[in-house]
Amino acid sequence: MLDNFILELRDVTKRFGGVTAVNRCSLRLAPGKIYGLIGPNGSGKTTLFNCITGLEVREEGEIRFRGERIDGLRPHQVTRRGIGRTFQVIRIFPELTALENLLVVTWSPFDGALRRARELLELVTLDRLQDEYAGNLSYGQQKLLEFARILMTDPDLILLDEPAAGVNRTLLNELLQAIRNLRSQGKTVFIVEHDMKVIMDLSEKIFVLNYGENIAEGPPEVIQADERVIEAYFGR
Amino acid sequence: MKWLAWVVAAGVLIGLAIMPFFVSNYIVTFAIQIFMWIALAESWNLISGFTGYVSFGHVAFFGTGAYTTAILVSQAGWHWFPASMMGSITAAALALIIGYPCLRLKGPYFAIAMLGLNEVLRALVSYFENFTGGGNGITLTPIQSIQPLYYAMGGVALAVVFLTYCIITSRFGLRLISIREDELAAEAMGINTAALKLYAFLLSAAFPGIVGGFFAWYSSHIEPIGTFPLLTTITMIIMCLFGGKGTVLGPVLGASLLSIFQEMVWARFLFIHQAIFGALIVAVVLLMPKGMLGVLQERYRLPRTI
Repeated sequence: MLDNFILELRDVTKRFGGVTAVNRCSLRLAPGKIYGLIGPNGSGKTTLFNCITGLEVREEGEIRFRGERIDGLRPHQVTRRGIGRTFQVIRIFPELTALENLLVVTWSPFDGALRRARELLELVTLDRLQDEYAGNLSYGQQKLLEFARILMTDPDLILLDEPAAGVNRTLLNELLQAIRNLRSQGKTVFIVEHDMKVIMDLSEKIFVLNYGENIAEGPPEVIQADERVIEAYFGR
Repeated sequence: MKWLAWVVAAGVLIGLAIMPFFVSNYIVTFAIQIFMWIALAESWNLISGFTGYVSFGHVAFFGTGAYTTAILVSQAGWHWFPASMMGSITAAALALIIGYPCLRLKGPYFAIAMLGLNEVLRALVSYFENFTGGGNGITLTPIQSIQPLYYAMGGVALAVVFLTYCIITSRFGLRLISIREDELAAEAMGINTAALKLYAFLLSAAFPGIVGGFFAWYSSHIEPIGTFPLLTTITMIIMCLFGGKGTVLGPVLGASLLSIFQEMVWARFLFIHQAIFGALIVAVVLLMPKGMLGVLQERYRLPRTI
């Protein structure tokens, strides 16, 4: 049964002192789909991503990737198993060039890696800036570079933390198309996003967190009409 | 342009190789001193310049190499050269033992831990008198000729510079820089930061170990205070920062220019030369925080691999 899901979380809990950031959260992701994760500010979305990728150690519960437990692994071990992520606040390597930002994360032979890196830079329209230091790129370009960087690791599950934030409309459309292309390549995408239009258009299924709890899940049209979700966002 | 750089480098190396036959012993001795500082500053650069982990106790590896060599030469009758190699191995082994826990510390905590290591080692060599001679130190047979030392020290300086070039032009080097830039992101991108930091730390400890061995042989007497001085670590840091940390030639430039400057100032201003040296350091840090090469790289868009 477990093998049918690429990612499975069972009763995952993470506390920071007296604050329970993620509270007995359970969810399952099937391969080759786009999933959304929404919730008010401070609802635990990024903490949940951090638990999945090993940046935070969950206190209770299980996290399985392709049926194997990954909770307790270090972040680089999680990544090498096939999970890639971007960050809410951009975390590129500013004193490496755009091209080097991609080359640094792969272990494949250099010529092939170089070819792949150039393809990905072209995909995100940064090919003409490949030798520019990443720190000199605009915010939107850095966002695209970060997106290209996770593709360089060829992950099967991609976690995107607010990919649309700060990206202009033209770049955003290209980014959204790139995300849809990932699905057609069989990748699973899990997105945290505050732009409701973006997440409703993209996602096949949405999970809603509130105070760290998974309060609702379902297709976008069901989530939009869910009383608990409306209450979480707007109150009674 | 690249071939021109290689031609210039080859010319400089040939010039340095034949230099001892044409200059005075004073110049050869001074060149040995510059080679020593190049090797030390470049070694510090390997861990601190690339990964951003600032070590304030790097002289601990220098002292470890010096004492290992002196003990092996004086008590086991080893030749100075293999004894110095063993000094390097001992320093690397110490780095392995210390690095594993200490490289988990971040920022000033790592710097302070390294500072503490140096003080502990100094206390230990003072304490184990039967083995290390305690506060009196170890006296070795004075060297007969400085030429072998010139080539040995020059060879080590060249080796560490070449190694740095190989690292900076490799993906291993890019990964070390990614740790300096954002360690968390590097880890999340699949880079085993703990292992890479340890490799860099081992390499950066091995060379001061050899240099310490050569130093013991050259000075023919070592004792705890003169072998583990904090000033040596500070000098290698200053030289690296002055030339440009995280570059290949920055520490070479810093070690060479500052050694020459120090020698000139010392001879002319005997009592205030350290104050002048200090003022220069303050000026460099304020005006050129990325060092000389850093400024040139930014202004002329030079590659990082210089």
